[in-house]
Amino acid sequence: MADTTEGPDSAVEEVFYPTDRVTLVDWRRVSGAKPAVALVGVVALLAFVAGLSNLSDEALALEGPLAAVVPGATGFARFGGVVAAFTLALVTVGLRRRKRLALRAALVVLPVVALLPLTTLQPTDVPLLLAALAAYPLLVRNRGSFDRALHLEPLQVASLSSFLAVGVYGTVGSYSLRSQFAELDGWADAVYYVIVTIATVGYGDVTPTTPVAQWFSLSVIMLGTGAFTIAVGALVGPAIESRMAAAFGNMTASELTLLEDHVVILGHGDVTAPLLETLETETNLVVVTRDSDAAAALGDDVNVLTGDPTDETVLEDARLDVARGVVVGSDDDARDVLAVIAATNVAPDVRVVAAANEGKHVDKLGSVGADRVVDLRSIGGRLLGQSVLGREPASGEDLFEEP
Amino acid sequence: MCRLWRGGLCGIFLPTFVGDAVSGATWLAVSLVFFVSGLAYLAVLPGDETSSESVLLGLRRTGLAGTVREFVGRHDPMVLGVPAVVFALFVAARAAFPAATTGAVDAVSGAVLRQFGVFFLGTVLVAVAYCVFLLLGPWGDVRLGGPDAEPTYTYPTYFTLIFTAGIAAGIVFWGPAESLFHYQTPPPYFDAAPRSDAAVGGALTYALFHWGLSAWSAYAVVGVPVAYYVFERGAPLRVSAILTPFLGPDGLDTLPARVVDTLAVFATVGGIATSVALVSEQFLAGIGFQWGVTTGQTGPVLFVGGLTLVVVLSAVTGVHRGIRRLAGVNVALFVLFAVVVAAVGPLGVVSDRGAAALGSYAVNFVPLSLHVGGAWVAEWTVWNWSWWFSWAPFAGLFVAALSRGRRVRTVVFTGVVATSLATIAWFVLLGGTSLWVQRTGVADVLGAVAARGGAETVVGFQVFAALPLGQLLTFLFLALIVVFMATSADTSTLVVSVLAAREGVAPSTGSVVFWGVFQGAVAVSLLLVGGGQTLQALAVLTGGPFAVLSLVALAGLTLSFYRRERGRGHESLVTRLGSRLPTVQTHHDVEPPEE
Repeated sequence: MADTTEGPDSAVEEVFYPTDRVTLVDWRRVSGAKPAVALVGVVALLAFVAGLSNLSDEALALEGPLAAVVPGATGFARFGGVVAAFTLALVTVGLRRRKRLALRAALVVLPVVALLPLTTLQPTDVPLLLAALAAYPLLVRNRGSFDRALHLEPLQVASLSSFLAVGVYGTVGSYSLRSQFAELDGWADAVYYVIVTIATVGYGDVTPTTPVAQWFSLSVIMLGTGAFTIAVGALVGPAIESRMAAAFGNMTASELTLLEDHVVILGHGDVTAPLLETLETETNLVVVTRDSDAAAALGDDVNVLTGDPTDETVLEDARLDVARGVVVGSDDDARDVLAVIAATNVAPDVRVVAAANEGKHVDKLGSVGADRVVDLRSIGGRLLGQSVLGREPASGEDLFEEP
Repeated sequence: MCRLWRGGLCGIFLPTFVGDAVSGATWLAVSLVFFVSGLAYLAVLPGDETSSESVLLGLRRTGLAGTVREFVGRHDPMVLGVPAVVFALFVAARAAFPAATTGAVDAVSGAVLRQFGVFFLGTVLVAVAYCVFLLLGPWGDVRLGGPDAEPTYTYPTYFTLIFTAGIAAGIVFWGPAESLFHYQTPPPYFDAAPRSDAAVGGALTYALFHWGLSAWSAYAVVGVPVAYYVFERGAPLRVSAILTPFLGPDGLDTLPARVVDTLAVFATVGGIATSVALVSEQFLAGIGFQWGVTTGQTGPVLFVGGLTLVVVLSAVTGVHRGIRRLAGVNVALFVLFAVVVAAVGPLGVVSDRGAAALGSYAVNFVPLSLHVGGAWVAEWTVWNWSWWFSWAPFAGLFVAALSRGRRVRTVVFTGVVATSLATIAWFVLLGGTSLWVQRTGVADVLGAVAARGGAETVVGFQVFAALPLGQLLTFLFLALIVVFMATSADTSTLVVSVLAAREGVAPSTGSVVFWGVFQGAVAVSLLLVGGGQTLQALAVLTGGPFAVLSLVALAGLTLSFYRRERGRGHESLVTRLGSRLPTVQTHHDVEPPEE
């Protein structure tokens, strides 16, 4: 009916029908991998708070339906929350990096966490139960997103496995020698003794009483403390190193966003120092290099971004799109070719100047998109030749070899 | 804000440490900030489209005189002015002559409820019957907005918005309380001894009756006619659209129509403001009873202020953002609460009693609807029907506004059947649980109520304290009170802004803010001069005219349907179901078993 549906109240349209579709929950936004990771983080937080609450409650009552079923219910209720919280915090970091191992760990830890409220049934634990129940299906749904393998260096693998092996050796050994130890009666005591010994704490409540036991203890100390130290170094060291290296990249994100009309120098090499001298007074500079030692050597006066110059995302961080020009000049021509390609990918219009260490690479650098290629050796040779003939050094234009 | 949040969390989770160090009033302030900031943050979160800029631009207007002129220009002077003057007069009269005002209003409302009780009962029964007719009959097939219109709101959104808008914090307070009160003072219809086993069934049945199909029908009989005239006849979205068959879609700027709209604004603002005022008093009275925190006059005022902030933000961001999100949170909390109560409560007893009460509700529905039982019925049933009718203009208008693209049958099903199923389940669960608590002697809830002078607010706290996970239930209970109130008040703010705007003009941000603040201001002044109960009586009285108007609307709708929809191939639900049966038959015939 034309006369009836035409010209509806425009206020109705504007107030009640601003869009074509209004859904109660935007599932696309809440069911992805990111909300899943965030929810695991929330579970970790709630587990910590609930754990602390249970730990601080001196008269903790176990009122849950599973209190009779869960082994060691009291201890679990007291300490489970906090332990699970730290595990889940680690897992959350792994999930943020999309590690497959973190996903598997989460899928094991979350049900254990869910047991906690079902054991205690304290009001403070119920949010934890709900969050864990929500996080689990969300993780399963997004399992495909967590597909990165955990890459361990050989040293890390070796130190970890030797640490574990010493632990097993010490536990089994001290248990079988338990008659020769004071106050060592069972497996729990054996584990306690080994950890206290390896960590160099040595309370001294469990002590070897015979020479055999003493020799055994010495072996645990020698092997265990060594393995422990190396394992800590191998696991924590790389993290600290990368942190330090990142610290040498001395620009903050907000400083990076302020860059404009600057020159980006990709890679560090023999030409970098004189290049910086020439350009420093002229314009803003950013040096992008993977080499953290070189980055550190450049000092605080030069803007450094520690990262791979052949990586497009790093170049985007260096604001190549608004840069005045790009100089590609490391000692490795092959990497320079990649850097030129990356630079033209990020900013097709920016002027790219490349330095070729060998004459045969000049054409290659030119053909991948460098606007101008400087052959360092041929320039040196020409300068030498002109100097020996007593001529004035030619203007820059003559020294260049056109690509 | 973050620190307060953390403080609130610490207080909730580690009461042994924090409880001694923090005073009750601080505690209360922290928890209110917790609720308010959480809800407000949710309301203003940006949606998919970035419309926040336009909101800010709308607020950035220079020149007070210009702003006022434009504000007045966008409004219908009568609809804007009359309610404002009436509320101001009422507050002034109440402040100057408290006893006389209260006496006068109480006398009038008492007389009306007694004299016209039969009329209210009859109107509600007619409304239910008409809803059943629309649900089953051929006119339920009419699709609002033309046969090709597609609903914009998905069904869960549609239900959630209608349910949360139509019901306020009353459901939270009265859920555990109402059947307990009927248990103490049994309704004359069931004629059982007070506090006896026989009184339990009648008490539950009456609670279901007061909050079930009859109550929700009041919204549908306003909502369906408005929706039909707005989307099929091009009438403006306002309550006076129900007069379209008599005045025509273009005749709605005449005096009778404007009187109807003015009355609707008055009833809505009065109903919501008194609810807000009473809820804030009840909320804090309950807290005071439970934890011994006395806040004096400032507590309720601060509560109303915080609530108003949430409401204004939610209404300004619109139906598809703030209002929708708060409604979603509301329903999620509602379901969560019910699930937890069912898990820790006496589910077996509740389901036995509930099934019996449901059966009794079905069998006694018509007799109950027609039962005129003297003072008790006037005080409970008639008062309740009048209260629901006074909310009908705004709730019905909101139902109508969301219903484009839906069939009339779906509107009635959602607005009456689905919503009453939710309230019925709630009242069975909570009423059954509180009756169980009282009867088994786990806690003497009625004793506590008597100690507080018959305040229904303490019932919930008493009942939940007697159950496992009591603290969690109490916390959820408080959250539900706040959020149920907010979801009704934000909708009413938006609806009143639409009603008060000139025809065809969408309410500006400023006008939405004005009406939200106006509601809050009325609530605050009621709290300051006292007289929330009196104004509530006055607002309930507006239910009378709307009961009359809903009968007019039904007559008009019948006329329009008869003239325009007859013979257009609409199928009744009965025919539709009937037409399916033979296909089942032929299905068997087509594929006979192998021989």
